Amino acid sequence: MKDMTLGQYYPTDSFTHRMDPRAKLVLVIAFIVMVFLAESFLSYFAVIVCVVSAALVSRIPLSKMLKSIKAIIMLLIFTGILNLLFYNGETVLWSWWRIKISVEGIIFSIKMVLRLVLLVMGTTLLTYTTTPTSLTDGMESLLTPLKYIKVPVHDIAVIMSIALRFIPILSEEVDKIMMAQKARGASFDTGGLLSRAKALLPILIPLFVSAFRRADELALALDARCYNATPNRTRYKVMKFGLRDLAGAIGMAAFIVLVVALNNNFWGAYETVQSVWWLF
Amino acid sequence: MQIVIQNLSYVYSPKTPFEKVALDNVSFTVNEGDTLGIVGATGSGKSTLSRHLNALIRIQSGKILLGDIDLSQKKPDLKEVRKKVGMLFQFPEYQLFADTVRKDVEFGPKNFGMNEAEAAKSAAEAMRLVGLDMGEIGEKSPFELSGGQMRRVAIAGVIASRPEVLVLDEPTAGLDPAGKREILELVTALKSSFVKTVVIISHNMDEIAEYCNRVVVLDEGKLIADTTPAILFNDSDIIDNTELDYPHTIKIKRMLAARGFVIDTPALTVKELAAGVARRLK
Repeated sequence: MKDMTLGQYYPTDSFTHRMDPRAKLVLVIAFIVMVFLAESFLSYFAVIVCVVSAALVSRIPLSKMLKSIKAIIMLLIFTGILNLLFYNGETVLWSWWRIKISVEGIIFSIKMVLRLVLLVMGTTLLTYTTTPTSLTDGMESLLTPLKYIKVPVHDIAVIMSIALRFIPILSEEVDKIMMAQKARGASFDTGGLLSRAKALLPILIPLFVSAFRRADELALALDARCYNATPNRTRYKVMKFGLRDLAGAIGMAAFIVLVVALNNNFWGAYETVQSVWWLF
Repeated sequence: MQIVIQNLSYVYSPKTPFEKVALDNVSFTVNEGDTLGIVGATGSGKSTLSRHLNALIRIQSGKILLGDIDLSQKKPDLKEVRKKVGMLFQFPEYQLFADTVRKDVEFGPKNFGMNEAEAAKSAAEAMRLVGLDMGEIGEKSPFELSGGQMRRVAIAGVIASRPEVLVLDEPTAGLDPAGKREILELVTALKSSFVKTVVIISHNMDEIAEYCNRVVVLDEGKLIADTTPAILFNDSDIIDNTELDYPHTIKIKRMLAARGFVIDTPALTVKELAAGVARRLK
């Protein structure tokens, strides 16, 4: 349970950490769009530059960034190999039965894997730099328009923040229960699949019992403090869209333009540049 | 079995912003027959230390010898170690999982390689030691029991594997005074069975003073005292330099002394204190 990097906050103080969570959310959506816009290797390179510079600005160490990839390594290998073997390319290098490896297939699978890696890196930057609380606050604020069609946005946000808040608590609980059962001689990494699955019961049952107990206690505590999601609650931390967020937005916009431009070879701007080059 | 701890250090999440030194060069020895108290403020490293004792935490630096087993070697025999050193965690009732009390108590013995008959015998004995009757509640679900009974069943689950050393992490947390006393009396009674050595982690000084023959004090991961409760509470100022408190009996003794009523007993228990007062009044 120690390797729950995906979605864990990394506490330091940086430009990105101080950004408005709403801005970060929007930027991440823009980033995802950008990743899917990228076509040529050059534009992928621009996306890489974007992720690396974002990581530098957020002061997240490289090792942490790579660790987020570790969680999806199986997925990467799987997509990479499947695309490599079954892509319907023209320049076939080797084929057998329905499997064929083509130059296009190789290129496509490299791009596919690259796309996944970049997606995960970019999106984990959001959770690295934003606490779960401000993340849900941001989402709630962005979803406010839905209130007009009677969507209980605030309640959804509260449910989300409770769920996020309980992830570390429950993972700590799992650690504790595992230790207690190990102390009673249980082992979780020996035997076949079935015996391993059976070995999980002594962890899962106490975990669920305690999750229900905690949920009950939390519900009582909420009730005791008259929680009823009143519409005009004020906030302790007021979110403000500032210069920092504007700078981030401009940076992201510049990268998107760059990616699209690289996809289209600058709409023939090379030639234009060359044709006017002699002027300088 | 003697436990020797030498220069033990432990750091949580080294080289990250979460880095925290939990133990800093701790050395002491637990002799067979000891009831050792480990005291210290929250976050002083008590739990980390105790989890080293049955290899739930791998040693980062330093050495632990359990009798003739060296825990710092690459692959200690974990089953053997955990069978010898039983560990009772805080709120042990939350680790009950089986559908009947009997299965839960037999879980440990079976893991440690006892066969059905041995496990059943050992489990029944463990239940008897904690003051419960397997015949009566053995087929019940552990979740039907009362809080105090659940804790007893959990203790039975630990001692059913017949450990030589029993480590208890805050065994009385969350119990009422009567429940606390019952559990501690139980632990004392266990020492006349196969359990030879008991290590109690607590920040309740009354319990340490009354039940332990030795006590070590941890402060921010460092061992700052290895002595007896009588010396720690009566003849030293170690407690004053930590966030810990004195036992109530010692506090009363000091209040009396401040008003000129000096008594000559260590006053570690209420009985001792009362006897001291009675002697003085004679």
